[in-house]
Amino acid sequence: MSKEKEILDDFSSKFDVKVKTQRDRRAWVSIKKTDLLDISAWLKEQGFTHLSSLSVTDWIDDDKYELTYHLWSYKDNILITLKTKINRKNPVIKSVSSVWGENAQIHEREMHELFGVKFEGNNDLSPLFLEDWKGVPPFKKDFDWRKYVREEFYDKNNERESGYYD
Amino acid sequence: MSERNSTIKIMRGSLGTMINQIEELTDSEYDLYFGPAHPGSGNFSVKLKVDGEKIISARADPGYLHRGFEKLMEYRLPIQNAVLSDRICILEPLNWNLVHAEAVDELMGIEVPSRAKYIRVLMAELSRIQSHIIWYGVFSIGLGFDTGFKMAFGYRDYILDIFELITGGRVYPAGYICPGGVRRDIPKSAQDKILKVLDKINEMIKLEKLENPSLRSRTEGVGVLSINDAIRLGATGPVLRASGMQTDVRKDDPYEIYDELDFEIPVRKEGDAYARYLIGIEEIKESIKIIKQVLSRLPDGDFIDPSFKKPKLSAKIPQGEVYIRNEIARGEAGVYMVSNGGNTPYRCKIRGPSFLHMIPVLEYLLKGAQIADVPAIYWSLNICPADMDR
Repeated sequence: MSKEKEILDDFSSKFDVKVKTQRDRRAWVSIKKTDLLDISAWLKEQGFTHLSSLSVTDWIDDDKYELTYHLWSYKDNILITLKTKINRKNPVIKSVSSVWGENAQIHEREMHELFGVKFEGNNDLSPLFLEDWKGVPPFKKDFDWRKYVREEFYDKNNERESGYYD
Repeated sequence: MSERNSTIKIMRGSLGTMINQIEELTDSEYDLYFGPAHPGSGNFSVKLKVDGEKIISARADPGYLHRGFEKLMEYRLPIQNAVLSDRICILEPLNWNLVHAEAVDELMGIEVPSRAKYIRVLMAELSRIQSHIIWYGVFSIGLGFDTGFKMAFGYRDYILDIFELITGGRVYPAGYICPGGVRRDIPKSAQDKILKVLDKINEMIKLEKLENPSLRSRTEGVGVLSINDAIRLGATGPVLRASGMQTDVRKDDPYEIYDELDFEIPVRKEGDAYARYLIGIEEIKESIKIIKQVLSRLPDGDFIDPSFKKPKLSAKIPQGEVYIRNEIARGEAGVYMVSNGGNTPYRCKIRGPSFLHMIPVLEYLLKGAQIADVPAIYWSLNICPADMDR
């Protein structure tokens, strides 16, 4: 049995989750949001010390946010992606900064700014990129950036810019 | 009369606050801004809290270059995104082209022709060399070592000439590495020219060795990052390898043809600015080795998947999601792409290595350092504000 399969089997039996193997070194796992911290702590013990990326996908039709945690193990060379869905209207989830330290902290800060997800236990979620931003978080699917740009930056009476208003 | 009295009152009042301020200023603590419009910082700023010469705390303030590419890509076709992906990092557009193209390839299930894979690796490695040369250049100028800066940018131009010959653009290749392969074949004359340029680069590395002592005295023992801190702060690439971790995405998570190539991963234990700089120079040598292998084995055949020669703009991206990791000059680059079956990606998350190097790693290393060491620490991390802000 390969090391990769061993880890994935361990994982699925311990937490009762279904592991989908996409190709070599890529595994995708959907988990419940309440299990996130337990699973994170266990995976880190197993050698997944590197949080490669944290991303949010806005599934506006289902009224859900999907959070994806891409975890890499330097020891066994495998990438596990944890996926969990949360409510879009009240996007709250426990922070994993207690597990992956400042690395997770900064990723969460970015996602809080761009999607408005609240990470409970993250002590610094101050704005990162946008200065004096007052609108809705700009990466949400229902944020109409064309309208925003028209209202904030363009002038209807300006000859060169009137083309943006049809 | 009463007006005059009130004016005097106000003057007294403001004098009072002024005296208070002066009292505050006599304290040796003050704020110092490094960037964002500082010649030594790039488009990025760090707010330093300083006591005398010593930095008490540092707070990164990104956003000066934020363009929202991730959002924009949701509205653009893959063929347009290939061009956009150039702009993620100004200093190594070809590597970012490659990460983006691989994500679309995998989502669409395209089998990239083997000649295209070789050309992709060739271009990615040339791009890595020129990026490392810039690193050496800005690192030198940051320390007031002008010769290194001029030498680096002079030699980098030889590689830009090759880019112009192959892609048509000196700095931005305009999506040369695109989904399905590469945009056009390399010309027959390119092989000899590349080998000649590699000789030039070897020449530069030898020259650089002569100038070493002045750099060394400014960088040795400065900005030391231990291996555990490096992992906790999310460092990757040369920064992590300089702290003693033997890891490289090209070896551990091979893509394209890297598993067939023979090259070493330079590692050092010290974790200081000097070690990071040495890793950069070693990696240039390894990239030269890779390019020579690629050129000697370059197979014949298509340079792009035939169905992509004339791209159909209405082509749909099949439903699915992928996470692609690449080793670029600065560290680990990642693209997480989700498609719901439309002709544009539903979500495209870009993971730039500088995002971690410029915020948590830099803040950590600057704390407790001297003001004079800020450029040495800052530039030793091989950072690019563009790929952090995206």
